[in-house]
Amino acid sequence: MKLSIGSRSTRASLQTPLYDFLAPSLIITPRTRKHFSTTPRTLSATTHNESSKPPLSQPHRTPKAGPEAATNTAPPSKPLTQAQRDFLTSALRVNQAGELAATLIYTAQTPPIVASHPHLRPLMAHMYEQEAGHFKTFNGLLAKHRIRPTAMYPLWSVAATALGWGTAIMGREAAMACTEAVETEIGGHYNGQVRVLLDMIDSMESKGQEVGEDLRELVDSIRKIRDEELEHLDHAVENDAQKAVPHELLTGVIRAGCRGAIWVSERV
Amino acid sequence: MATKRLLPLTRFTQPLRRPYHSYTHPAPPGPFNEIERSILSSAAKHIPSHGFTSTSLALGCSDAGYIAASTNLFPKAAFSLVEWHLLAQREALKGEVDAIAGDGAKPMGVGAKVKELTWRRLMGNEEVIHRWQEALALLASHPSTSIHELALLSDEIWFLSGDVSVDTSWYTKRASLSTIYAATELFMTTDKSVGFQETREFMERRFEDGRSIGSTLGSVGQWVGFTAHAGLNVLRSKGVRI
Repeated sequence: MKLSIGSRSTRASLQTPLYDFLAPSLIITPRTRKHFSTTPRTLSATTHNESSKPPLSQPHRTPKAGPEAATNTAPPSKPLTQAQRDFLTSALRVNQAGELAATLIYTAQTPPIVASHPHLRPLMAHMYEQEAGHFKTFNGLLAKHRIRPTAMYPLWSVAATALGWGTAIMGREAAMACTEAVETEIGGHYNGQVRVLLDMIDSMESKGQEVGEDLRELVDSIRKIRDEELEHLDHAVENDAQKAVPHELLTGVIRAGCRGAIWVSERV
Repeated sequence: MATKRLLPLTRFTQPLRRPYHSYTHPAPPGPFNEIERSILSSAAKHIPSHGFTSTSLALGCSDAGYIAASTNLFPKAAFSLVEWHLLAQREALKGEVDAIAGDGAKPMGVGAKVKELTWRRLMGNEEVIHRWQEALALLASHPSTSIHELALLSDEIWFLSGDVSVDTSWYTKRASLSTIYAATELFMTTDKSVGFQETREFMERRFEDGRSIGSTLGSVGQWVGFTAHAGLNVLRSKGVRI
């Protein structure tokens, strides 16, 4: 009896880090949250497949595209199933759409925010640069894996610019609340993807199939990007995101919008 | 009735499906298996003399060493030959792109590669051009397959040319190339000039049209963007908090 409880609790503790994106909106002290990231600082801890993987060396890979990408072929393995291909397709497409929106939100927010709060210039520039890096990563992956970008591209561009500009006009707190809402949704979204990808890799390994460098790299880069998004969430909360006047309403509406956009982008 | 109406619609969305293309995993099996491929490739040799017909297919069966009743493998009969021709020609483009790269001293741009690959694909129809209207008739009765194949072809050409744009231009590029290709292919069936010179000129004109429309739209967009940005900056310099 005691043994079974113990094993269940260890299993739970193995799984809970995946859900830690929920923590930021519940815990008030922002400083401590940086350590909640599931990417191991030291490679000794955490789950089984992380111990074997090499640490991520380059910040943003820019994968080759076009015919030259086909030259680095690995030893053959089984084809990906239709379900796996469908998941990868919609995951990469929605990620690109998300990063497109993120870069545009920060681009639109920066001028009004910096005009009224010049001390935020380095922070806005830093967050924008990271988002631009993520966008570039996913652009490269889409081109490499021949995935159609979302058909809603122009619509998301307009919507993201309007959201960024609108919240920036409402003031620093509202702009930060927008960041908080968006990054909360995105953190959860990326966590979900990492979970599915790890499951996929697990099942491939248990069947003795070759997993392939592409999938391992994908998990690594999504993890890294997820951590940077959660870092933005911390910055937003540090900068009084929760003092925005209709905080619940604002974040609620933006988060619902995010979920809707993710749902649509996964499909078209 | 409702489901019957819906079914072709869902098949029309097929061209929009671009599943993940893996480099570390082999591609899933194509539409034809090993036996079908051997029969169809033998049958393709009879197309110039017997056309896209069941006769070519039956001759292909006996050439490949199967009994004539093996044509039952192909419920779509002659249309399978058309599908095979489109598939084989599209797959052959992979080899063409290396030939193009080896040709010139200086590397070609994406646009030039697209044009050259389109031309080489059109030349893939050279052997069967006098029979091509039969194929077009068959394709017209299978609209979803023909649109799907056309979309796959233009996607393949842009990909092999090394185009990496993944924004709205992904759609406009493929749509315009599909239009150019379909128009030129139709023109080619009536072209009697030596070496399809007139077809080549027709294709060049279509590409030129596409380029000028594209650059006009691009210029208008640039102007609108610049003016809007400048207006915004003037307002900001006046102290308006936007």
